Amino acid sequence: MIDVPGRLRRLGATYESRWLALYVAARLAATAFAAVLLAWERGSGPQELLLVYGLISTGLLAWLPALRRMPAAWAVDIGVLVVCILLSGDWRSPFYLLWLSTLALPATTLPLRSAAWLAAAAPLMFLLVAFVGGPQPGIQVRSAENLAIHLALPFLLVASLAYAANALRRLSKERVERERLAIEGERRRIAWELHDSAKQRIHAAHLLVSSLQGQVPGRLERTIGRAVVELESAASDMDTSLAELRSPLEGRPLADALRERAAELAPGGRPAITVHGTAPQLEPLVVAHLYRIGSEAITNALRHADATAIDVAIENGGGRLRLRVTDDGRGLPDERRSGATGLFAMESRAATIGALLHVGAGPDGRGTVIELEVPINENGGSQ
Amino acid sequence: MIRVVVIDDHPALRAGLHTVLEAEPGIVFAGESNGEEENVWPVLNRSRPDVVLLDYHLPRGDGLQLCYRIKQQVPAPKVVIFSAYASPTLALPATLAHADGLLDKGVAARELFNALRTINRGERLLPPVSHTVLEESLAKLDPDARALVGMLLDGASEVEIAQTLRVEPREVRHTVQRILSALRLDVPAARPA
Repeated sequence: MIDVPGRLRRLGATYESRWLALYVAARLAATAFAAVLLAWERGSGPQELLLVYGLISTGLLAWLPALRRMPAAWAVDIGVLVVCILLSGDWRSPFYLLWLSTLALPATTLPLRSAAWLAAAAPLMFLLVAFVGGPQPGIQVRSAENLAIHLALPFLLVASLAYAANALRRLSKERVERERLAIEGERRRIAWELHDSAKQRIHAAHLLVSSLQGQVPGRLERTIGRAVVELESAASDMDTSLAELRSPLEGRPLADALRERAAELAPGGRPAITVHGTAPQLEPLVVAHLYRIGSEAITNALRHADATAIDVAIENGGGRLRLRVTDDGRGLPDERRSGATGLFAMESRAATIGALLHVGAGPDGRGTVIELEVPINENGGSQ
Repeated sequence: MIRVVVIDDHPALRAGLHTVLEAEPGIVFAGESNGEEENVWPVLNRSRPDVVLLDYHLPRGDGLQLCYRIKQQVPAPKVVIFSAYASPTLALPATLAHADGLLDKGVAARELFNALRTINRGERLLPPVSHTVLEESLAKLDPDARALVGMLLDGASEVEIAQTLRVEPREVRHTVQRILSALRLDVPAARPA
């Protein structure tokens, strides 16, 4: 199975880290620009201290991803820079570029509509700063033109970043959807092939082979019987595969998956099938086999045992996971028709994940208990 | 001699059934069809079978609709729904479609022969419609259709129902077909588009 969400996440992470590098570089460049301008003017007082803010805030934003998504952090960032500009006593402040860069985070993170409001609000905010912070703009033509540029830049910056971010978000959403549809289509195709072709052939082979039962010399009877059993198991394996293709496990908890399969096998809750307990996080292969053995045990109880109640228990403890399927049906035949009850298939599955399979009579001698015990290590693999 | 016609869209299964049925004394393989409209009826008219072994999942349409139409014939053969996806929910629509039996494709040859003989004798081999399945199925139908299902399960014939409701038998039959398509089971693996 292709791990598409994982691949997309990694791809997304690459974009994310590149964008972050660009953002940090822009902030540092703006800070450096302010530093050069201040050195040029030989400014003094709190302004140099404020330069430190540029470095510290950029560092914090780079290290803490949660901070980058926090509206309060954006507000503080923008607010501090507004104060810096006001303190510098001139709206044509060296801190203007750093202030511009603080708008980039909300512009790319907010949804398009909110970002549009920000694009409108940012020039207004700066206009206010220009009138409060002085010197009064607009007396000379050059000063008015300069102000117009100072006001147009935040608008253009926020609007274009928000538009681009929105387009990227839509694109990646569409891609995830497209890949999901492709996988689903592929699953449907495989399921259809299994059901329409392979399973029909198995049924045909089963009919053919089973028609020989009782018609051949005794020493061949065992072989035929065994072949019939194998074909029966193959057909029921295929049923489980089909169920899995229709609603894949994909990280669903084992108990939920078994509960769903039980509801499918016994619609209307008759016989009553209960599933309790939960399994820890396990390796996908182990979960898949546990699911299949559990489904198989339920199917057998329904098909061969005429059970009225089936209980599925998942217990976890002491480095072992136990899956126990108990039914109140007819119980095992005296001469255990191994495999006729699908036991062979279950045994070989159990061996694959290093599990032990116990099959026995129910607690009071009635019914059947199938218990599977699989050793698990901390990271969920079977040992 | 039980004359059996097989209607199934899969050639391997038809061939398998052909071999198996031919080899069994007392059962004759009388013909086969892939379920396409243009060859189902000629095969049935030509071979006049006692029992029709009918696949539930036909490439076009629904085995139960076909079953219902086969059973409208006079005289009608016995029809056994042969399904690869035997499910308790199939019992109700199979009963409404007048099927004589419902059989899982996973049965062994011996069970198949026994079932064919039982059904040929005039017995029906349908699992009982459980209460919960009935409730779930009725929930999918409109009130008129629910009343009709009740009467049909009680054993009333369509002509009797038509007389009671003072409608044409044709209308009752039409409603039954509508019910059958409403109760159609989702094919576990739909043919990819």
